[in-house]
Amino acid sequence: MTPRLSRLIAAAAMVLPAPVLAQEAVEVTLWHMEQPPHRVARIQELIDEFNAANPDVVVRQEPQNWGEIYAKAPAAIAAGAGPDMLFAIPDFTPILKDLGALTSVEDFVSELDARHDFVDSAVEAYSYDGGVWAVPLYNMTMHLWYRPSVLEEAGVAVPTTWEEWRAAAEALTADGQFGMGLPANRHLYTDQTVYSVMLNGGAAEIYEEDGSLRFDNPETVAAYEFYQSMMPFSPPDAPSWTWGEAEACFASRSCAMILQFTVISTYETQAEGDPADLGVAPIPVREAGQEPGTIAYANAVMLLSPEDSPEREASERFIAFLLEPENYGRFLNMEPGLFMPVTADGAEAESFWSDPVVQEYRSQIEQVIANSENGKLFGFTSGRVFPAIAAISAQNVLAETLQDVVVNGRPPAEAVARGQARMEELSQ
Amino acid sequence: MTAAWRLLLGAGIVFFVLLIGLPFWWVVTGSFKVPQEIIARTPTFIPRSFTLQHYDLLLSASAYGTYLLNSLLVAAASTLLTLLLAVPAAYAFFRIEFRGRATLYRLILLAYAFPSIVVLVPLFATFARLGLVDTRLALVLVNTAFALPFAIWMLRAFFAQIPPEIEEAARLDGGPPLVVLWRILLPLIAPGLGAVAIFAFVSAWTEYVFASVLILTDALRTLPVGFAGIIGQYQVNWGLLLAGATLAILPVVALFALIGRWFVTGLTEGAVK
Repeated sequence: MTPRLSRLIAAAAMVLPAPVLAQEAVEVTLWHMEQPPHRVARIQELIDEFNAANPDVVVRQEPQNWGEIYAKAPAAIAAGAGPDMLFAIPDFTPILKDLGALTSVEDFVSELDARHDFVDSAVEAYSYDGGVWAVPLYNMTMHLWYRPSVLEEAGVAVPTTWEEWRAAAEALTADGQFGMGLPANRHLYTDQTVYSVMLNGGAAEIYEEDGSLRFDNPETVAAYEFYQSMMPFSPPDAPSWTWGEAEACFASRSCAMILQFTVISTYETQAEGDPADLGVAPIPVREAGQEPGTIAYANAVMLLSPEDSPEREASERFIAFLLEPENYGRFLNMEPGLFMPVTADGAEAESFWSDPVVQEYRSQIEQVIANSENGKLFGFTSGRVFPAIAAISAQNVLAETLQDVVVNGRPPAEAVARGQARMEELSQ
Repeated sequence: MTAAWRLLLGAGIVFFVLLIGLPFWWVVTGSFKVPQEIIARTPTFIPRSFTLQHYDLLLSASAYGTYLLNSLLVAAASTLLTLLLAVPAAYAFFRIEFRGRATLYRLILLAYAFPSIVVLVPLFATFARLGLVDTRLALVLVNTAFALPFAIWMLRAFFAQIPPEIEEAARLDGGPPLVVLWRILLPLIAPGLGAVAIFAFVSAWTEYVFASVLILTDALRTLPVGFAGIIGQYQVNWGLLLAGATLAILPVVALFALIGRWFVTGLTEGAVK
């Protein structure tokens, strides 16, 4: 290098701003499906804090929609335009894993587990084929929501068995009120309510140990028969419901009881908002003495950057940041009462319990966490996951079978047999 | 017309006005109600409350304005490009004799034979190679491609209705084809241009599938996709939904107000003496 060139470089170093010469920050993109503005704002708040504390990393969020992500993510990844981190539910992960877009995060999850102690079932939902394919972030579970004053007025106790549940729904169906709002749409919401009934009727397993389907069994038929018997106590438009309509039905006092992940937010902002008159209970079981269970969606985040890349390392740092107790509660409370912790220290975190809405509805949230102890998800119950469950879930076969019973009037035993045939067809 | 027929006709008109107008009334008035009244067990036809809280929340706490602007840009550009391409194409199908003209004219409608979802993934890959993923241009191109066949069909039909004497007279006066097209024929097919513009605009304004997949960043989202995210999945804010739907109607209503009258203009009224 000539002395003149050296002088020029030295002069440039003095004139140019420091960041130009410094190593460029690693940029990572997070895709998530929490699109409502207040959730985006809360995630951005946490991202801003992380970026400020980690000048060598820039995290950006791009909210997506559950409705399109199943088509969009594979296309974007194939075109090299995918994100570095992508939120997931258990039946979404096998799709990307089968595309070869994921590498196991087992070591990272073990490291986080040692620090925060994950709820076992949350990790199990992503553990199969010799790896762990996503890092659990939060849990969503379904419960029976009601107003104690409404039940008291009708002289009805909180139901714990199917028989009590049906009797309560019948007693509460009066004066323009429906006893039990249950959907029958061919939609994920109906999958969730149907499976919650199946689970409490001894039909939690869809697969045998060897991977063959066992959907068509007497317990499943009994669950569908029971569900059918509850439909007269549900509003006539229930066959077209998704989550929003059910919540509106409850908030407007048109439905005395509904099955839902949470109603707290809607009850607080669109109904009377009286915490003392909001009840939540485990979903009733078929026979007294059984342990109640519920459908559980352990939401997680998949890491898509190549192993050992700076993007992967930056993504792991961000996820570790989110799971730190002082941040984790604020992350979960982007929708208070909906997202539940999947770590032991998160469940006790001050940042979780100090939220004003959580404080107001503390007893309900404690009950939700207690109900979640026996959470299961169809197709992810036996410790082994069969990839065809993604197609079965995507086609809403549980809901489709219910529609066959409720809308087409097919006897439950016949509809369940057809449901199993449909699952087999989708599994090929 | 007898009084009985007039009564029947009047009743029919009232029925259809109510059928079409009531949902709009419901959406617009609902957007000004408080949340409790929106979801009340007994619906209120005339609002009992008035609030701007849903509009306030929509415009202050969400990117609704950005989505609206993106939709306006994409729909306007798609409409313009559709017209720019459809007019010469339709004129060529109408005026120029070439081998396979009739077959090609029928074939262009094949574009509607395939559901858009079928071409989604290959189109994504193609656009990714061209660097067009996550750009408004990608949406403009897709919207134009899907609006164009129908636009060509429609405009050719309008060209075919122009009395040949008009074009011949212009030619005899020495007008070159492009001048004849621009100065003589286009004003005569103004209702067709209006219809095509409305069709292209509304198609682009409501397009969801491609906009949801080809756009990755929030700042470039169009209204249908962005709005679907705002209203939520597990929890639906009904007030926000109604306020957003009300605002989304306005540009389309404005477009109809501006060029809707072209529909009722006589096609060649007074052109041939």
